[in-house]
Amino acid sequence: MKQREWKSPRREWRIADAALTVGVLSAAAVLRLLLYRADPGDGYVGLLFVLAVACVARWTKGYFWGIFASIFGVACVNYVFTYPYWQLNFTMTGYPLTFLTMLAVSLMISAMTTQIKKQEQMRRETEKETMRANLLRAMSHDIRTPLTSIVGNTAAILENPDAFTPQQQRALLLDVNEDAQWLIRMVENLLSITRISDEPGGIEKEYEAAEEVVAEAVRKFSKRFAQPAVSVQVPDEVLMVPMDATLICQVLMNLLENAAIHADGATGIRVDVHRTGDMACFSVSDDGCGIPPEKLETLFDGTLPDAQRGASDTKKNMGIGLSVCRTIVAAHGGTMSAENLPQGGACLRFTLPMKEEEDVEAEG
Amino acid sequence: MKLKDKVLIVEDEQSIGNFMSTVLEANGFDTLRAATGAQARSLITSHCPDLIILDLGLPDMDGLEILREVRAWSSLPVIVVSARTHEHDKVRALDMGADDYVEKPFGTSELLARIRTAIRHTRTSVGNADLAQTGKYRIGALTIDYDKHHVLVDGEDTHLTLNEYKIVALLGKYAGKVLTYDYLIREIWGPMAKADNQILRVNMANIRRKIEKNPAAPQYIFTEIGVGYRMLGTE
Repeated sequence: MKQREWKSPRREWRIADAALTVGVLSAAAVLRLLLYRADPGDGYVGLLFVLAVACVARWTKGYFWGIFASIFGVACVNYVFTYPYWQLNFTMTGYPLTFLTMLAVSLMISAMTTQIKKQEQMRRETEKETMRANLLRAMSHDIRTPLTSIVGNTAAILENPDAFTPQQQRALLLDVNEDAQWLIRMVENLLSITRISDEPGGIEKEYEAAEEVVAEAVRKFSKRFAQPAVSVQVPDEVLMVPMDATLICQVLMNLLENAAIHADGATGIRVDVHRTGDMACFSVSDDGCGIPPEKLETLFDGTLPDAQRGASDTKKNMGIGLSVCRTIVAAHGGTMSAENLPQGGACLRFTLPMKEEEDVEAEG
Repeated sequence: MKLKDKVLIVEDEQSIGNFMSTVLEANGFDTLRAATGAQARSLITSHCPDLIILDLGLPDMDGLEILREVRAWSSLPVIVVSARTHEHDKVRALDMGADDYVEKPFGTSELLARIRTAIRHTRTSVGNADLAQTGKYRIGALTIDYDKHHVLVDGEDTHLTLNEYKIVALLGKYAGKVLTYDYLIREIWGPMAKADNQILRVNMANIRRKIEKNPAAPQYIFTEIGVGYRMLGTE
Protein backbone atom coordinates (compact mmCIF):
# COMPACT_ATOMS: atom_id res chain seq x y z
CA MET A 1 0.00 0.00 0.00
CA LYS A 2 2.69 2.42 1.13
CA GLN A 3 4.77 1.64 -1.93
CA ARG A 4 2.03 2.65 -4.30
CA GLU A 5 1.39 5.87 -2.46
CA TRP A 6 5.06 6.60 -2.81
CA LYS A 7 5.27 6.31 -6.53
CA SER A 8 2.27 8.41 -7.37
CA PRO A 9 3.77 11.85 -6.65
CA ARG A 10 6.62 11.13 -9.03
CA ARG A 11 4.27 10.10 -11.81
CA GLU A 12 2.11 13.11 -11.11
CA TRP A 13 5.19 15.24 -11.55
CA ARG A 14 5.91 13.71 -14.91
CA ILE A 15 2.35 14.31 -16.04
CA ALA A 16 2.53 17.86 -14.72
CA ASP A 17 5.74 18.46 -16.68
CA ALA A 18 4.20 17.10 -19.87
CA ALA A 19 1.09 19.23 -19.40
CA LEU A 20 3.22 22.29 -18.78
CA THR A 21 5.27 21.68 -21.92
CA VAL A 22 2.19 21.22 -24.09
CA GLY A 23 0.54 24.23 -22.49
CA VAL A 24 3.47 26.59 -23.03
CA LEU A 25 3.97 25.44 -26.63
CA SER A 26 0.29 25.84 -27.45
CA ALA A 27 0.25 29.25 -25.80
CA ALA A 28 3.16 30.24 -28.05
CA ALA A 29 1.31 28.90 -31.10
CA VAL A 30 -1.92 30.71 -30.16
CA LEU A 31 0.04 33.91 -29.55
CA ARG A 32 1.66 33.54 -32.94
CA LEU A 33 -1.75 33.10 -34.59
CA LEU A 34 -3.11 36.19 -32.85
CA LEU A 35 -0.06 38.23 -33.79
CA TYR A 36 -0.30 37.00 -37.37
CA ARG A 37 -3.39 39.17 -37.80
CA ALA A 38 -1.49 42.26 -36.72
CA ASP A 39 1.76 41.43 -38.46
CA PRO A 40 1.97 38.66 -41.06
CA GLY A 41 5.78 38.77 -41.08
CA ASP A 42 7.67 35.94 -39.38
CA GLY A 43 10.78 37.60 -37.98
CA TYR A 44 9.63 37.23 -34.36
CA VAL A 45 8.36 33.66 -34.58
CA GLY A 46 11.69 32.16 -33.73
CA LEU A 47 12.12 34.47 -30.74
CA LEU A 48 8.62 33.64 -29.50
CA PHE A 49 9.42 29.93 -29.51
CA VAL A 50 12.82 30.49 -27.94
CA LEU A 51 10.96 32.18 -25.10
CA ALA A 52 8.56 29.25 -24.87
CA VAL A 53 11.43 26.78 -24.83
CA ALA A 54 13.22 28.81 -22.17
CA CYS A 55 10.09 28.71 -20.00
CA VAL A 56 9.73 24.95 -20.41
CA ALA A 57 13.39 24.34 -19.62
CA ARG A 58 13.16 26.51 -16.53
CA TRP A 59 10.01 25.01 -15.03
CA THR A 60 10.32 21.31 -15.75
CA LYS A 61 12.57 18.71 -14.19
CA GLY A 62 15.64 17.38 -15.98
CA TYR A 63 16.67 17.87 -19.60
CA PHE A 64 13.99 15.86 -21.31
CA TRP A 65 11.15 18.36 -21.65
CA GLY A 66 13.43 21.26 -22.57
CA ILE A 67 15.01 19.30 -25.41
CA PHE A 68 11.65 17.93 -26.42
CA ALA A 69 10.21 21.46 -26.55
CA SER A 70 13.13 22.82 -28.58
CA ILE A 71 13.03 20.04 -31.17
CA PHE A 72 9.28 20.15 -31.36
CA GLY A 73 9.39 23.96 -31.49
CA VAL A 74 11.99 23.98 -34.27
CA ALA A 75 9.97 21.50 -36.31
CA CYS A 76 6.76 23.33 -35.64
CA VAL A 77 8.15 26.78 -36.50
CA ASN A 78 9.76 25.46 -39.65
CA TYR A 79 6.76 23.46 -40.76
CA VAL A 80 3.85 25.69 -39.85
CA PHE A 81 4.78 29.22 -39.04
CA THR A 82 7.54 30.27 -41.41
CA TYR A 83 7.74 30.50 -45.15
CA PRO A 84 7.38 28.09 -46.93
CA TYR A 85 4.29 27.15 -44.90
CA TRP A 86 3.35 23.50 -44.28
CA GLN A 87 6.69 22.04 -45.29
CA LEU A 88 10.02 21.41 -43.66
CA ASN A 89 12.79 23.52 -45.17
CA PHE A 90 16.12 24.12 -43.51
CA THR A 91 17.95 25.34 -46.60
CA MET A 92 16.81 28.97 -46.90
CA THR A 93 19.29 31.62 -45.82
CA GLY A 94 19.33 32.29 -42.07
CA TYR A 95 16.96 29.48 -41.13
CA PRO A 96 19.52 26.91 -40.03
CA LEU A 97 21.11 29.51 -37.77
CA THR A 98 17.75 30.44 -36.18
CA PHE A 99 16.93 26.85 -35.44
CA LEU A 100 20.36 26.00 -34.12
CA THR A 101 20.10 29.02 -31.83
CA MET A 102 16.78 27.77 -30.45
CA LEU A 103 18.19 24.34 -29.76
CA ALA A 104 21.30 25.76 -28.13
CA VAL A 105 19.32 28.16 -25.91
CA SER A 106 17.02 25.43 -24.68
CA LEU A 107 19.89 23.05 -23.99
CA MET A 108 21.79 25.69 -22.08
CA ILE A 109 18.84 26.72 -19.96
CA SER A 110 17.87 23.11 -19.18
CA ALA A 111 21.45 22.37 -18.23
CA MET A 112 21.63 25.44 -16.03
CA THR A 113 18.37 24.85 -14.17
CA THR A 114 19.21 21.21 -13.66
CA GLN A 115 22.61 22.16 -12.38
CA ILE A 116 21.19 24.76 -9.99
CA LYS A 117 18.76 22.20 -8.62
CA LYS A 118 21.60 19.74 -8.17
CA GLN A 119 23.72 22.32 -6.40
CA GLU A 120 20.84 23.17 -4.10
CA GLN A 121 20.49 19.51 -3.24
CA MET A 122 24.21 19.19 -2.66
CA ARG A 123 24.17 22.17 -0.34
CA ARG A 124 21.38 20.57 1.66
CA GLU A 125 23.27 17.28 1.80
CA THR A 126 26.38 19.06 3.05
CA GLU A 127 24.36 20.77 5.76
CA LYS A 128 22.95 17.42 6.83
CA GLU A 129 26.44 15.96 6.79
CA THR A 130 27.73 18.76 9.02
CA MET A 131 24.86 18.23 11.44
CA ARG A 132 25.55 14.54 11.53
CA ALA A 133 29.25 15.09 12.07
CA ASN A 134 28.58 17.45 14.98
CA LEU A 135 26.21 14.97 16.52
CA LEU A 136 28.72 12.17 16.08
CA ARG A 137 31.42 14.21 17.77
CA ALA A 138 29.16 15.02 20.72
CA MET A 139 28.07 11.40 20.98
CA SER A 140 31.54 9.90 20.85
CA HIS A 141 32.59 12.30 23.56
CA ASP A 142 29.68 11.26 25.75
CA ILE A 143 30.07 7.57 25.03
CA ARG A 144 33.70 7.44 26.06
CA THR A 145 33.01 8.12 29.73
CA PRO A 146 30.78 5.11 30.49
CA LEU A 147 32.97 2.89 28.30
CA THR A 148 36.02 3.86 30.33
CA SER A 149 34.20 3.04 33.52
CA ILE A 150 32.99 -0.33 32.18
CA VAL A 151 36.44 -1.37 31.00
CA GLY A 152 38.06 -0.09 34.20
CA ASN A 153 35.66 -1.78 36.59
CA THR A 154 35.62 -5.15 34.84
CA ALA A 155 39.40 -5.14 34.42
CA ALA A 156 39.78 -4.38 38.13
CA ILE A 157 37.74 -7.46 39.04
CA LEU A 158 39.35 -9.70 36.42
CA GLU A 159 42.92 -8.75 37.30
CA ASN A 160 42.55 -8.81 41.08
CA PRO A 161 40.04 -11.56 41.73
CA ASP A 162 40.90 -11.79 45.43
CA ALA A 163 41.38 -8.13 46.25
CA PHE A 164 37.70 -7.25 46.58
CA THR A 165 35.05 -8.33 48.99
CA PRO A 166 31.84 -9.61 47.39
CA GLN A 167 30.17 -6.31 48.36
CA GLN A 168 32.88 -4.32 46.62
CA GLN A 169 32.62 -6.51 43.53
CA ARG A 170 28.88 -6.05 43.53
CA ALA A 171 29.28 -2.28 43.74
CA LEU A 172 31.68 -2.31 40.78
CA LEU A 173 29.36 -4.51 38.75
CA LEU A 174 26.39 -2.27 39.55
CA ASP A 175 28.33 0.65 38.10
CA VAL A 176 29.12 -1.39 35.00
CA ASN A 177 25.47 -2.31 34.64
CA GLU A 178 24.32 1.28 35.04
CA ASP A 179 26.81 2.54 32.49
CA ALA A 180 25.80 -0.13 30.02
CA GLN A 181 22.15 0.81 30.49
CA TRP A 182 23.02 4.41 29.79
CA LEU A 183 24.79 3.33 26.59
CA ILE A 184 21.73 1.38 25.51
CA ARG A 185 19.54 4.45 25.94
CA MET A 186 22.02 6.53 23.99
CA VAL A 187 22.05 4.02 21.15
CA GLU A 188 18.26 3.90 21.11
CA ASN A 189 18.24 7.64 20.61
CA LEU A 190 20.76 7.33 17.81
CA LEU A 191 18.62 4.69 16.14
CA SER A 192 15.62 6.99 16.36
CA ILE A 193 17.53 9.65 14.47
CA THR A 194 18.59 7.26 11.73
CA ARG A 195 15.00 6.08 11.54
CA ILE A 196 13.88 9.61 10.73
CA SER A 197 16.56 10.23 8.11
CA ASP A 198 16.15 6.77 6.54
CA GLU A 199 12.55 7.35 5.56
CA PRO A 200 12.36 9.35 2.35
CA GLY A 201 9.91 12.21 2.71
CA GLY A 202 9.65 12.04 6.46
CA ILE A 203 8.31 9.34 8.71
CA GLU A 204 5.85 6.54 8.26
CA LYS A 205 2.78 7.50 10.24
CA GLU A 206 -0.15 5.37 11.29
CA TYR A 207 -3.13 6.11 13.46
CA GLU A 208 -2.34 4.91 16.98
CA ALA A 209 -4.25 5.14 20.24
CA ALA A 210 -2.36 7.70 22.33
CA GLU A 211 -3.10 5.81 25.56
CA GLU A 212 -1.41 2.66 24.24
CA VAL A 213 1.79 4.49 23.42
CA VAL A 214 1.82 6.30 26.76
CA ALA A 215 1.15 3.07 28.66
CA GLU A 216 3.97 1.31 26.83
CA ALA A 217 6.43 4.13 27.49
CA VAL A 218 5.54 4.19 31.18
CA ARG A 219 5.83 0.42 31.42
CA LYS A 220 9.29 0.40 29.87
CA PHE A 221 10.35 3.32 32.03
CA SER A 222 9.16 1.66 35.24
CA LYS A 223 11.19 -1.44 34.38
CA ARG A 224 14.34 0.67 34.44
CA PHE A 225 13.52 3.13 37.22
CA ALA A 226 11.75 2.05 40.39
CA GLN A 227 11.52 5.68 41.52
CA PRO A 228 9.80 8.10 41.15
CA ALA A 229 6.32 6.66 40.72
CA VAL A 230 4.46 7.60 37.55
CA SER A 231 0.76 8.42 37.38
CA VAL A 232 -1.02 8.61 34.05
CA GLN A 233 -4.13 10.49 33.05
CA VAL A 234 -5.89 10.01 29.70
CA PRO A 235 -9.26 11.33 28.53
CA ASP A 236 -12.31 9.08 28.22
CA GLU A 237 -12.35 9.71 24.50
CA VAL A 238 -9.89 7.50 22.60
CA LEU A 239 -7.39 9.77 20.88
CA MET A 240 -6.25 8.29 17.58
CA VAL A 241 -3.16 10.21 16.52
CA PRO A 242 -1.14 9.68 13.33
CA MET A 243 2.43 8.92 14.41
CA ASP A 244 5.39 6.60 14.27
CA ALA A 245 4.59 4.99 17.62
CA THR A 246 8.12 3.74 18.25
CA LEU A 247 9.49 7.25 17.92
CA ILE A 248 6.82 8.86 20.10
CA CYS A 249 7.40 6.15 22.69
CA GLN A 250 11.06 7.18 22.59
CA VAL A 251 10.11 10.83 23.16
CA LEU A 252 7.98 9.93 26.18
CA MET A 253 10.70 7.72 27.62
CA ASN A 254 13.29 10.47 27.21
CA LEU A 255 11.01 12.94 28.98
CA LEU A 256 10.33 10.48 31.79
CA GLU A 257 14.04 9.71 32.18
CA ASN A 258 14.85 13.38 32.09
CA ALA A 259 12.48 13.89 35.01
CA ALA A 260 13.86 10.89 36.89
CA ILE A 261 17.49 11.95 36.51
CA HIS A 262 17.30 15.73 36.73
CA ALA A 263 14.35 16.54 38.94
CA ASP A 264 16.09 16.30 42.31
CA GLY A 265 13.67 15.64 45.10
CA ALA A 266 10.85 14.53 42.82
CA THR A 267 8.43 12.08 44.43
CA GLY A 268 6.16 11.57 41.46
CA ILE A 269 5.90 12.09 37.71
CA ARG A 270 2.59 12.83 36.08
CA VAL A 271 1.87 12.05 32.44
CA ASP A 272 -1.19 13.69 31.00
CA VAL A 273 -2.79 13.46 27.56
CA HIS A 274 -5.59 15.68 26.37
CA ARG A 275 -7.03 17.14 23.24
CA THR A 276 -6.84 20.82 22.34
CA GLY A 277 -8.67 21.51 19.10
CA ASP A 278 -6.94 19.54 16.36
CA MET A 279 -3.90 18.78 18.48
CA ALA A 280 -3.19 15.98 20.92
CA CYS A 281 -1.25 17.43 23.81
CA PHE A 282 1.11 15.26 25.88
CA SER A 283 2.75 16.54 29.05
CA VAL A 284 5.23 15.09 31.52
CA SER A 285 5.47 16.98 34.80
CA ASP A 286 7.30 16.36 38.04
CA ASP A 287 7.39 17.88 41.51
CA GLY A 288 11.16 18.20 41.67
CA CYS A 289 13.55 21.12 41.63
CA GLY A 290 12.48 22.62 38.30
CA ILE A 291 14.65 23.76 35.41
CA PRO A 292 17.14 26.61 35.97
CA PRO A 293 15.77 29.61 34.04
CA GLU A 294 19.00 30.10 32.08
CA LYS A 295 18.65 26.56 30.68
CA LEU A 296 15.00 26.87 29.65
CA GLU A 297 15.89 28.74 26.46
CA THR A 298 18.29 26.20 25.02
CA LEU A 299 16.83 23.09 26.62
CA PHE A 300 16.02 21.32 23.36
CA ASP A 301 19.01 22.52 21.33
CA GLY A 302 21.32 19.76 22.44
CA THR A 303 23.95 22.37 23.15
CA LEU A 304 25.20 23.45 26.51
CA PRO A 305 27.55 26.35 27.17
CA ASP A 306 31.13 25.05 27.04
CA ALA A 307 31.83 25.91 30.64
CA GLN A 308 28.86 23.88 31.78
CA ARG A 309 29.63 21.05 29.45
CA GLY A 310 33.12 20.62 30.78
CA ALA A 311 32.03 20.75 34.39
CA SER A 312 28.88 18.70 34.26
CA ASP A 313 28.88 14.97 34.71
CA THR A 314 28.30 13.68 31.18
CA LYS A 315 25.89 11.10 32.43
CA LYS A 316 23.68 13.90 33.61
CA ASN A 317 23.72 15.55 30.23
CA MET A 318 20.31 14.90 28.76
CA GLY A 319 20.88 17.51 26.07
CA ILE A 320 21.00 14.91 23.34
CA GLY A 321 17.91 13.08 24.58
CA LEU A 322 15.86 16.26 24.57
CA SER A 323 17.10 17.41 21.19
CA VAL A 324 16.14 14.00 19.81
CA CYS A 325 12.68 14.60 21.28
CA ARG A 326 12.40 17.88 19.48
CA THR A 327 13.61 16.39 16.19
CA ILE A 328 11.03 13.61 16.40
CA VAL A 329 8.16 15.90 17.37
CA ALA A 330 9.07 18.39 14.64
CA ALA A 331 9.12 15.58 12.08
CA HIS A 332 5.53 14.85 13.11
CA GLY A 333 4.53 18.49 12.60
CA GLY A 334 4.18 19.13 16.33
CA THR A 335 5.72 21.55 18.80
CA MET A 336 7.64 21.19 22.03
CA SER A 337 7.83 23.43 25.09
CA ALA A 338 9.06 23.46 28.66
CA GLU A 339 8.13 25.50 31.71
CA ASN A 340 8.43 25.55 35.47
CA LEU A 341 5.18 25.00 37.31
CA PRO A 342 4.01 27.59 39.87
CA GLN A 343 3.70 24.87 42.54
CA GLY A 344 7.28 23.74 41.81
CA GLY A 345 8.69 21.18 39.44
CA ALA A 346 9.04 21.20 35.67
CA CYS A 347 6.59 20.42 32.91
CA LEU A 348 7.64 19.36 29.42
CA ARG A 349 4.97 19.35 26.77
CA PHE A 350 4.60 18.35 23.19
CA THR A 351 1.73 18.40 20.74
CA LEU A 352 0.95 16.26 17.72
CA PRO A 353 -1.55 17.09 14.98
CA MET A 354 -4.57 14.77 15.04
CA LYS A 355 -5.03 14.87 11.27
CA GLU A 356 -2.62 13.65 8.66
CA GLU A 357 -1.44 16.44 6.40
CA GLU A 358 -1.41 14.82 2.98
CA ASP A 359 -0.01 17.80 1.09
CA VAL A 360 2.94 18.17 3.43
CA GLU A 361 3.95 14.64 2.54
CA ALA A 362 3.52 15.23 -1.19
CA GLU A 363 5.86 18.20 -1.07
CA GLY A 364 8.56 16.28 0.75
CA MET B 1 15.12 -36.14 39.36
CA LYS B 2 13.36 -33.71 37.09
CA LEU B 3 14.25 -34.02 33.46
CA LYS B 4 15.89 -30.84 32.18
CA ASP B 5 14.53 -29.00 29.17
CA LYS B 6 17.01 -28.78 26.33
CA VAL B 7 17.41 -25.37 24.71
CA LEU B 8 19.23 -24.82 21.44
CA ILE B 9 20.84 -21.39 21.23
CA VAL B 10 21.44 -20.30 17.65
CA GLU B 11 23.57 -17.18 17.92
CA ASP B 12 26.69 -16.19 16.03
CA GLU B 13 27.94 -13.66 18.59
CA GLN B 14 30.14 -15.66 20.92
CA SER B 15 29.69 -13.37 23.93
CA ILE B 16 25.91 -13.27 23.73
CA GLY B 17 25.76 -17.03 23.26
CA ASN B 18 27.99 -17.50 26.31
CA PHE B 19 25.87 -15.24 28.42
CA MET B 20 22.65 -16.95 27.39
CA SER B 21 23.91 -20.48 27.96
CA THR B 22 25.39 -19.55 31.36
CA VAL B 23 22.13 -18.00 32.50
CA LEU B 24 20.02 -20.88 31.19
CA GLU B 25 22.21 -23.56 32.77
CA ALA B 26 22.14 -21.71 36.08
CA ASN B 27 18.36 -21.83 35.84
CA GLY B 28 17.98 -25.55 35.23
CA PHE B 29 18.13 -25.91 31.46
CA ASP B 30 20.43 -27.97 29.28
CA THR B 31 21.88 -25.95 26.43
CA LEU B 32 23.22 -26.62 22.96
CA ARG B 33 25.03 -24.04 20.90
CA ALA B 34 25.06 -23.34 17.19
CA ALA B 35 26.86 -20.42 15.59
CA THR B 36 25.68 -20.94 12.01
CA GLY B 37 22.47 -21.91 10.26
CA ALA B 38 23.99 -25.15 8.96
CA GLN B 39 25.07 -26.16 12.46
CA ALA B 40 21.62 -25.32 13.79
CA ARG B 41 19.98 -27.51 11.17
CA SER B 42 21.96 -30.58 12.07
CA LEU B 43 21.56 -30.03 15.83
CA ILE B 44 17.80 -29.61 15.50
CA THR B 45 17.39 -32.91 13.69
CA SER B 46 19.92 -34.86 15.78
CA HIS B 47 19.05 -33.57 19.27
CA CYS B 48 15.39 -32.56 19.05
CA PRO B 49 15.63 -29.67 21.52
CA ASP B 50 12.63 -28.56 23.59
CA LEU B 51 13.03 -24.97 22.51
CA ILE B 52 15.08 -22.93 20.06
CA ILE B 53 16.40 -19.44 20.66
CA LEU B 54 17.03 -18.12 17.20
CA ASP B 55 19.02 -15.05 16.26
CA LEU B 56 17.81 -13.74 12.91
CA GLY B 57 21.15 -12.39 11.72
CA LEU B 58 23.23 -15.48 11.01
CA PRO B 59 26.43 -15.44 8.94
CA ASP B 60 25.39 -18.12 6.44
CA MET B 61 21.64 -17.63 6.07
CA ASP B 62 18.58 -15.71 7.18
CA GLY B 63 17.33 -17.01 10.52
CA LEU B 64 13.78 -16.96 9.15
CA GLU B 65 14.84 -19.73 6.77
CA ILE B 66 15.49 -22.02 9.76
CA LEU B 67 12.15 -21.03 11.24
CA ARG B 68 10.39 -21.94 8.01
CA GLU B 69 12.11 -25.34 7.84
CA VAL B 70 11.27 -26.15 11.47
CA ARG B 71 7.66 -25.09 11.08
CA ALA B 72 7.32 -27.40 8.07
CA TRP B 73 7.48 -30.44 10.32
CA SER B 74 7.16 -29.40 13.93
CA SER B 75 5.55 -26.99 16.36
CA LEU B 76 8.53 -26.98 18.68
CA PRO B 77 8.72 -23.56 20.34
CA VAL B 78 10.97 -20.96 18.73
CA ILE B 79 11.89 -17.63 20.31
CA VAL B 80 13.36 -15.13 17.92
CA VAL B 81 16.07 -12.73 19.04
CA SER B 82 16.13 -9.55 17.01
CA ALA B 83 18.15 -6.39 17.07
CA ARG B 84 15.87 -3.42 17.11
CA THR B 85 15.58 -2.51 13.48
CA HIS B 86 11.99 -2.42 12.44
CA GLU B 87 8.74 -3.81 13.76
CA HIS B 88 8.11 -5.46 10.40
CA ASP B 89 10.82 -8.04 11.09
CA LYS B 90 9.27 -9.10 14.36
CA VAL B 91 5.79 -9.23 12.90
CA ARG B 92 7.08 -11.31 10.01
CA ALA B 93 8.80 -13.77 12.34
CA LEU B 94 5.67 -14.06 14.50
CA ASP B 95 3.42 -14.53 11.49
CA MET B 96 5.76 -17.21 10.20
CA GLY B 97 5.19 -19.18 13.39
CA ALA B 98 7.72 -17.93 15.91
CA ASP B 99 6.29 -18.28 19.42
CA ASP B 100 7.74 -15.08 20.75
CA TYR B 101 10.55 -12.60 20.34
CA VAL B 102 13.00 -10.80 22.56
CA GLU B 103 14.62 -7.61 21.51
CA LYS B 104 18.33 -7.03 21.87
CA PRO B 105 19.42 -5.84 24.36
CA PHE B 106 17.34 -7.99 26.71
CA GLY B 107 17.54 -8.81 30.40
CA THR B 108 17.93 -12.32 31.81
CA SER B 109 14.62 -12.29 33.67
CA GLU B 110 12.80 -11.33 30.50
CA LEU B 111 14.49 -14.09 28.52
CA LEU B 112 13.70 -16.73 31.16
CA ALA B 113 10.06 -15.63 31.41
CA ARG B 114 9.63 -15.88 27.65
CA ILE B 115 11.23 -19.32 27.54
CA ARG B 116 9.00 -20.68 30.31
CA THR B 117 5.87 -19.27 28.71
CA ALA B 118 6.75 -20.72 25.32
CA ILE B 119 7.49 -24.19 26.72
CA ARG B 120 4.35 -24.22 28.82
CA HIS B 121 2.21 -23.24 25.88
CA THR B 122 3.38 -26.06 23.69
CA ARG B 123 2.82 -28.48 26.58
CA THR B 124 -0.72 -27.36 27.34
CA SER B 125 -2.44 -26.07 24.26
CA VAL B 126 -0.92 -27.74 21.22
CA GLY B 127 -2.72 -30.91 20.29
CA ASN B 128 -5.74 -30.16 22.43
CA ALA B 129 -6.56 -26.64 21.34
CA ASP B 130 -10.27 -27.14 22.05
CA LEU B 131 -9.65 -28.14 25.61
CA ALA B 132 -7.81 -24.92 26.26
CA GLN B 133 -10.92 -23.00 25.28
CA THR B 134 -12.98 -24.39 28.17
CA GLY B 135 -12.62 -23.78 31.86
CA LYS B 136 -11.40 -20.55 33.36
CA TYR B 137 -8.32 -18.39 33.11
CA ARG B 138 -7.56 -16.39 36.23
CA ILE B 139 -4.92 -13.70 36.56
CA GLY B 140 -5.03 -11.11 39.33
CA ALA B 141 -8.61 -9.98 39.77
CA LEU B 142 -9.47 -10.94 36.19
CA THR B 143 -11.31 -14.14 35.31
CA ILE B 144 -12.11 -15.31 31.81
CA ASP B 145 -14.92 -17.86 31.97
CA TYR B 146 -14.69 -19.81 28.72
CA ASP B 147 -17.81 -21.86 29.45
CA LYS B 148 -20.15 -18.94 30.08
CA HIS B 149 -18.37 -16.51 27.75
CA HIS B 150 -17.95 -13.97 30.52
CA VAL B 151 -15.05 -11.85 31.64
CA LEU B 152 -15.17 -10.91 35.30
CA VAL B 153 -13.16 -8.37 37.28
CA ASP B 154 -13.40 -8.78 41.06
CA GLY B 155 -16.29 -11.14 40.44
CA GLU B 156 -18.29 -8.51 38.54
CA ASP B 157 -19.34 -9.06 34.93
CA THR B 158 -17.63 -6.56 32.65
CA HIS B 159 -20.35 -6.65 29.95
CA LEU B 160 -18.04 -7.10 26.99
CA THR B 161 -19.61 -7.25 23.55
CA LEU B 162 -19.20 -10.46 21.57
CA ASN B 163 -16.15 -9.27 19.62
CA GLU B 164 -14.58 -7.78 22.72
CA TYR B 165 -15.03 -11.10 24.50
CA LYS B 166 -13.49 -12.96 21.57
CA ILE B 167 -10.41 -10.74 21.68
CA VAL B 168 -9.94 -11.14 25.43
CA ALA B 169 -10.59 -14.90 25.23
CA LEU B 170 -7.97 -15.30 22.50
CA LEU B 171 -5.38 -13.25 24.37
CA GLY B 172 -6.15 -15.26 27.50
CA LYS B 173 -5.72 -18.54 25.68
CA TYR B 174 -2.22 -17.48 24.70
CA ALA B 175 -1.55 -15.48 27.87
CA GLY B 176 2.05 -14.33 28.08
CA LYS B 177 2.45 -14.52 24.34
CA VAL B 178 2.27 -11.61 21.95
CA LEU B 179 -0.44 -11.89 19.28
CA THR B 180 0.03 -9.74 16.18
CA TYR B 181 -2.60 -7.28 14.98
CA ASP B 182 -3.08 -9.25 11.78
CA TYR B 183 -3.52 -12.52 13.64
CA LEU B 184 -6.15 -11.02 15.94
CA ILE B 185 -8.03 -9.41 13.05
CA ARG B 186 -8.01 -12.68 11.08
CA GLU B 187 -9.21 -14.70 14.07
CA ILE B 188 -11.99 -12.30 15.09
CA TRP B 189 -13.24 -10.81 11.83
CA GLY B 190 -12.27 -13.60 9.47
CA PRO B 191 -9.74 -13.86 6.65
CA MET B 192 -11.70 -11.51 4.41
CA ALA B 193 -11.48 -8.61 6.87
CA LYS B 194 -9.59 -5.59 5.67
CA ALA B 195 -6.13 -5.39 7.18
CA ASP B 196 -7.14 -2.28 9.07
CA ASN B 197 -5.95 -1.89 12.63
CA GLN B 198 -8.42 0.87 13.47
CA ILE B 199 -11.34 -1.35 14.38
CA LEU B 200 -9.11 -3.51 16.55
CA ARG B 201 -7.69 -0.43 18.32
CA VAL B 202 -11.16 0.89 19.05
CA ASN B 203 -12.34 -2.47 20.41
CA MET B 204 -9.21 -2.67 22.50
CA ALA B 205 -9.75 0.82 23.90
CA ASN B 206 -13.28 -0.21 24.93
CA ILE B 207 -12.00 -3.41 26.52
CA ARG B 208 -9.45 -1.44 28.51
CA ARG B 209 -12.15 0.89 29.78
CA LYS B 210 -14.15 -2.11 30.95
CA ILE B 211 -11.47 -4.30 32.55
CA GLU B 212 -8.62 -1.98 33.55
CA LYS B 213 -8.73 0.47 36.46
CA ASN B 214 -6.79 3.04 34.44
CA PRO B 215 -6.74 2.49 30.67
CA ALA B 216 -3.37 4.23 30.41
CA ALA B 217 -1.78 2.05 33.09
CA PRO B 218 -3.05 -1.41 32.12
CA GLN B 219 -2.53 -4.40 34.40
CA TYR B 220 -3.76 -7.20 32.15
CA ILE B 221 -3.39 -6.42 28.46
CA PHE B 222 -0.23 -4.73 27.20
CA THR B 223 0.57 -3.18 23.84
CA GLU B 224 3.70 -4.16 21.98
CA ILE B 225 4.12 -1.14 19.78
CA GLY B 226 3.88 -1.88 16.09
CA VAL B 227 3.49 -5.61 16.78
CA GLY B 228 0.39 -6.55 18.73
CA TYR B 229 -1.04 -7.25 22.18
CA ARG B 230 0.00 -9.50 25.03
CA MET B 231 -2.01 -10.60 28.05
CA LEU B 232 -0.29 -10.96 31.39
CA GLY B 233 0.85 -14.57 31.88
CA THR B 234 0.70 -16.53 35.09
CA GLU B 235 4.29 -15.83 36.08
